Amino acid sequence: MVTPIYIIAIALGIAFSLGFFSKGSKGIASSLFYLALTALTAIAGQWLIAFLTGDQSTVEVFTSGFKPPFSISLQMGFEEAVLLSMINIAGLLGAVYLFDQFKKYGAHLMITYLLLIMGLDVIVMTRDLFNLFVFLEIASIAMAGMALITNEGKSVQAGFKYLTATAIISAFFLIGIIFAYNFGDSLYINELLMSEGILKAGMVVSFLIIMPLILELKPFPANGWGLDMYQATHPAVGALLSGASVTASAYVLYKLAPLGGEIGYQVIAILGLITFLGSNLAGLKQSHTRRMLGYSSIAQTGLVMIVIGLQPMLGEMTLWIAFSILITNFLAKSGLFWLAGIINKDELKSWGILRKHPILLFLFVMFVIALSGLPPFPAFFGKWELIMALANSGNAWWIGLILLGSLIEAVYLFRWVGYGIKDKSFDFSINCSTYKTIPIYIMGAGLIAFVGYYLNHYFGDVVWYFIPLAFAALMFILDFLPAKLKNIIAIIGMGGYAYYMYDHFLGVDNLRFFFALIFIVGGILTLIPGFTKSGKRLGFYPAALLMFSGLGMLISATDLLQFFIAWEIMTIGSYLLIIRGKNSIKHAFSYMLFSLGGAFTMLAGFAFAQSGNPGIGLEVLSNMNYLPGLAAALIAIGFMTKTASLGLHIWLPGAHAEAESDVSPMVSAILLKAGVFGIILLFIGIGAEAATNHPLTYTLGWLGALTALIGNLGAAFQEDAKRLLAWSSIGQLGYILFAFSIMTHLGWLAGLTYTANHAAFKAILFLGIGGVVFRTKTHNMYEMGGLIKKMPLTFITVLFAIITLAGIPPLSGFAGKWLFYNAVIMKEWYLQGTIVFFAGIIAFLYSFRILYAVFLGHLKDKHRKIKEAPIWYLIPQFLLMGFIMLFSMQPELILRPFGDMISAYFPTDALTWDNGTALTSLGYWNGFRVGVIIFILFGILFGWLFLTSRKVKKIKSFNIVYAGEAPERPETTHMAHNLFAGYNKALGFLVAPGITNIWKWIDESTHDLGDFIRRIYTGNAQTYLVHIVAYTVIVFMLINFSI
Amino acid sequence: MENIAAKLLWTFLGLLIVLNWGMLKTSIVRKIVARVGGRYGIRWYQPWINLIKLYGTRGQLSHGVMFYLGPVFRIAGGVGLFLFMPLIFGDPRWSNFAFAGDLILLLYFKFFGMLGMALGAGEGGHPYSAIGVSRGLSQYTTVEIPFTLGIIALAVQYDTLSLTEMVAAQQGGIANWTIVTNPIASAALLFSMLGIFMHAPFDLVKAPNEIPIGPPTEYHGSYLGVLRTNAAIMHITEAVLFMNLLFGGANNWIELIIKTFLIYFITVFIGVVFPRFRIEQSVRFFLGVPLILGILAIILIM
Repeated sequence: MVTPIYIIAIALGIAFSLGFFSKGSKGIASSLFYLALTALTAIAGQWLIAFLTGDQSTVEVFTSGFKPPFSISLQMGFEEAVLLSMINIAGLLGAVYLFDQFKKYGAHLMITYLLLIMGLDVIVMTRDLFNLFVFLEIASIAMAGMALITNEGKSVQAGFKYLTATAIISAFFLIGIIFAYNFGDSLYINELLMSEGILKAGMVVSFLIIMPLILELKPFPANGWGLDMYQATHPAVGALLSGASVTASAYVLYKLAPLGGEIGYQVIAILGLITFLGSNLAGLKQSHTRRMLGYSSIAQTGLVMIVIGLQPMLGEMTLWIAFSILITNFLAKSGLFWLAGIINKDELKSWGILRKHPILLFLFVMFVIALSGLPPFPAFFGKWELIMALANSGNAWWIGLILLGSLIEAVYLFRWVGYGIKDKSFDFSINCSTYKTIPIYIMGAGLIAFVGYYLNHYFGDVVWYFIPLAFAALMFILDFLPAKLKNIIAIIGMGGYAYYMYDHFLGVDNLRFFFALIFIVGGILTLIPGFTKSGKRLGFYPAALLMFSGLGMLISATDLLQFFIAWEIMTIGSYLLIIRGKNSIKHAFSYMLFSLGGAFTMLAGFAFAQSGNPGIGLEVLSNMNYLPGLAAALIAIGFMTKTASLGLHIWLPGAHAEAESDVSPMVSAILLKAGVFGIILLFIGIGAEAATNHPLTYTLGWLGALTALIGNLGAAFQEDAKRLLAWSSIGQLGYILFAFSIMTHLGWLAGLTYTANHAAFKAILFLGIGGVVFRTKTHNMYEMGGLIKKMPLTFITVLFAIITLAGIPPLSGFAGKWLFYNAVIMKEWYLQGTIVFFAGIIAFLYSFRILYAVFLGHLKDKHRKIKEAPIWYLIPQFLLMGFIMLFSMQPELILRPFGDMISAYFPTDALTWDNGTALTSLGYWNGFRVGVIIFILFGILFGWLFLTSRKVKKIKSFNIVYAGEAPERPETTHMAHNLFAGYNKALGFLVAPGITNIWKWIDESTHDLGDFIRRIYTGNAQTYLVHIVAYTVIVFMLINFSI
Repeated sequence: MENIAAKLLWTFLGLLIVLNWGMLKTSIVRKIVARVGGRYGIRWYQPWINLIKLYGTRGQLSHGVMFYLGPVFRIAGGVGLFLFMPLIFGDPRWSNFAFAGDLILLLYFKFFGMLGMALGAGEGGHPYSAIGVSRGLSQYTTVEIPFTLGIIALAVQYDTLSLTEMVAAQQGGIANWTIVTNPIASAALLFSMLGIFMHAPFDLVKAPNEIPIGPPTEYHGSYLGVLRTNAAIMHITEAVLFMNLLFGGANNWIELIIKTFLIYFITVFIGVVFPRFRIEQSVRFFLGVPLILGILAIILIM
């Protein structure tokens, strides 16, 4: 093994010798420089490999032949090996990325750079306090020197501020060292940690040691100097700061934290939390990319500080959690900073240029998702462990605040992603030199490798669980193929998945099988319209398959972790799908925020739920010990963001309406059911007996009823056909929530019936209207009209779907209504039930509106040559119509298995069957007879009209009696705009955007708060120094005060 | 097979009786309304003449398939409602096809005709039709709330959703009628009945007294004949519904005719006294006193 001394030796040696080549032989200089960095990396890597493969034990290296405390000692353990590898890889790749700068500035810059990397390396390894001080200084000065790469005033200023700030911090540290030496009789860290002298000496000593280390990590708000550095210097410096420097400083804090004792840990954790929250808040208002990344980096550092501070509680998990967060931040941030350098524009919006470079765009999106702490990236697992541990030790508040901070971070990160994917306002081009992109690719590959490592670590024994995810990943690789071919591959893959579900769940767990049918078979049906697309349709299939694999994994999940990962993967996939719509950027963003907010509340709920349980299997939902009421409510809120229940619904209309024509049915008919599935799991957990008068189910019942009312009312007033359907989904999901909340056999039967019906008819409606939009190129119903003659097949399917939606006999929608009535009366939820019924009647308003305004009335001149919707849109519609007809005529065929399913949870036989007639203790209904009677009756009466009418002459729609005048144009005669004006006058106030305004207020006040906070950063060096001193003094006083 | 044939024949006979009683009732009501207004009014047999004239028209126009099917939907809704409605209590010959479904089926089947008609009118292309439909639907939504609350109150009171069983529970004298045993729910139901029959003050949907407006604007000839036929059947059937719900049902045809006439007369009586509401007014009206009565009826059974 090469001893780590060589790291110093090589770095220093080469740095000195570079001076000889500063003029003339630049080639030799740069070769030596890169060789040196490679050597450093190799030494670190060699140790890492030794630790990973063999039984290498921690080694301590003494310098100058003496043992400490008479000499400086370096320690090389597993942790050091890992961190050194990270730092040196960052150094080497950063140097590659800076190739042009090194060429420009020559040996001077190389020397600075080498010293920086060496400094960071030694900071990690050293076990001598004074030596630590020296190398902290070296690293700081070198880092400040790096600021000079960018030859601009701001950058130079930033370097100066950095230098002065670190000088002050070092001064504190130096005083601390003097005290430590005085009371601890040693500068050897290992001895200091053992000696009781420092603890006995009182707080001041440990404070002066630990506080500077905290300040090195740029805690909020005493961190203006660090932020300016991120913002003004070359992006590669930002990458080094965020990747290498933070890693080293955090480790030093970890190393020395025991000096502060219990209080020290608490202080670190609290300051970490303040940093995490404050930085993220301040990041909200940022439009400057690198400064925003700076806020994010500091926030991540805050998170690491929290973990270090919670070490007494986390125990041996500390390093694992901290590493998970650090490694993600390291890989993703470096990649993002380097990308920022390639784009070389300050504005977030300019990232739209990445649309032209799909691979970079992919990496960008992946980095941001990883940074947001979403699965399957390492930071997610770190956060998961952290949250679970916090719940197990009863720290609910910490969970709340950490998740809040994470959500705020996601706000600005995903706004940025939105620009990256969609913004088209860029008017420049970028130059992707190979030496600049390769480091980014390597970081991306590293991130993917770590995903594999983590998945293997957590799920090594259930690898099969991630097969669908692998399929989605395959679609990323196959994205260069033509869309039609990819569609075939996707459908085949989904078919295989459907078979797997059939094989595993039919007869074993029919409830899961039912949802698998909706998710997977529904998915196949909604993929079919994709055959209308030509070209490559880049990005569609990976996103769609990501969503469907997430949905499928929800079904097979056996524990909370798997379930949550599946949930988030589904969310990411659907976000990427929704944002593809033409005007989706805003709506996809709001969808993502609500989804993440919901996911985080769900995460907190899961954490509480598993607390006190031996494992994290889904069965913990039925055995919640820690804050059970709150846990159930949080989980329910999580699911209700997906079902868009009242209050959490405002994202849905835009997201569903602005999505592409074939995406809308996916997200509306299928994706929403994921929330329903979750709610069912939660309710099963609560249990039938406990739920009879459970406050949660009672509240959700009311909420469902009001959601139904507002959703349907909102739908009645829409002018946009897809928005109408989207609002209608809100209402329909309100019914479903209501029905399941009833928590009786009949209630659940109604709920499942609604679920099945909604999946079928909403898919038809969105596909039908999707076909219309595909042809007419507009969403506005008043711009359509008279299309029945041009698109008769679409009209038929939409008509059937609407009759089902409205619950009119003889179609299957009535089954739901009938069951619902019986359930409501038996449960004695009369008032809520009436609201739902009222909502059902309001559904007629929009049902009529969409049929009339789109298909009836007057055909517009520009639509005279329009054709029927493409066959690929019609096929799934007719298949679904077949299902509806089967359900309508033979309800027993479907309701009986539903009943058997529910009997496992609600054993009463509330519904019995007598020769095709459904019987409850209240009423009866025979679907087949009703159907036959109505069809025969309709036939007879049709015959009657046919017999009595003579010489029927077909006339144009304009040939009408119109007060003696001929109408002028279809536009003036098609009575479709503001159709329910009278109703709007009477009840429109109910759908005034009150809830939207509340959310807007929350949004604006949070942003204002963020804006207010960031005003402390004046940019003035003196002010920043005052910040540091004041921060130190205030923290000191607060600690003193609290002891 | 014989049973089914007999059943069909009895049902058809019942339909004929109801149809003709409905036509007669129309002319009587119009006569009364005219006399209140100081006019002479139509001859009692005018509705039959109208019907013959409409069915006898020699030429017709059509705006398209849905336009043509609109009246079929409408009358299928009316006749279907008739089919699922038990007419005379205790006599299986006149219980029609009520065994296929209960009260809930009746509630929802009403919409079958409404939706079909609305769509037919929609294809007619006349703006007045669309305006009429929009008004009709708007008004109907709120009419239904007190109606539903009343129905739920009754279902709980009688512990059934079967109309036949509800009538059975009301046998044995006026004291057992719902109107006596549950006056508040009955009041809610009667208020919504005003909206269902669409007489003044709730007749803006068709605005029958001035220029033709409302869904049937473009309908003529045998289409209108079918619609008129349906109206006659529908009015009586709906009156039978309220008779069964509130007034103890009927044990024979005479009782049915008297009761349905009196029930219908309530709306006529109110109609000639009160002027017409605008749509937003009638929407708000039904969300006022009738709604409160409905909620009260529910609170009383909780």
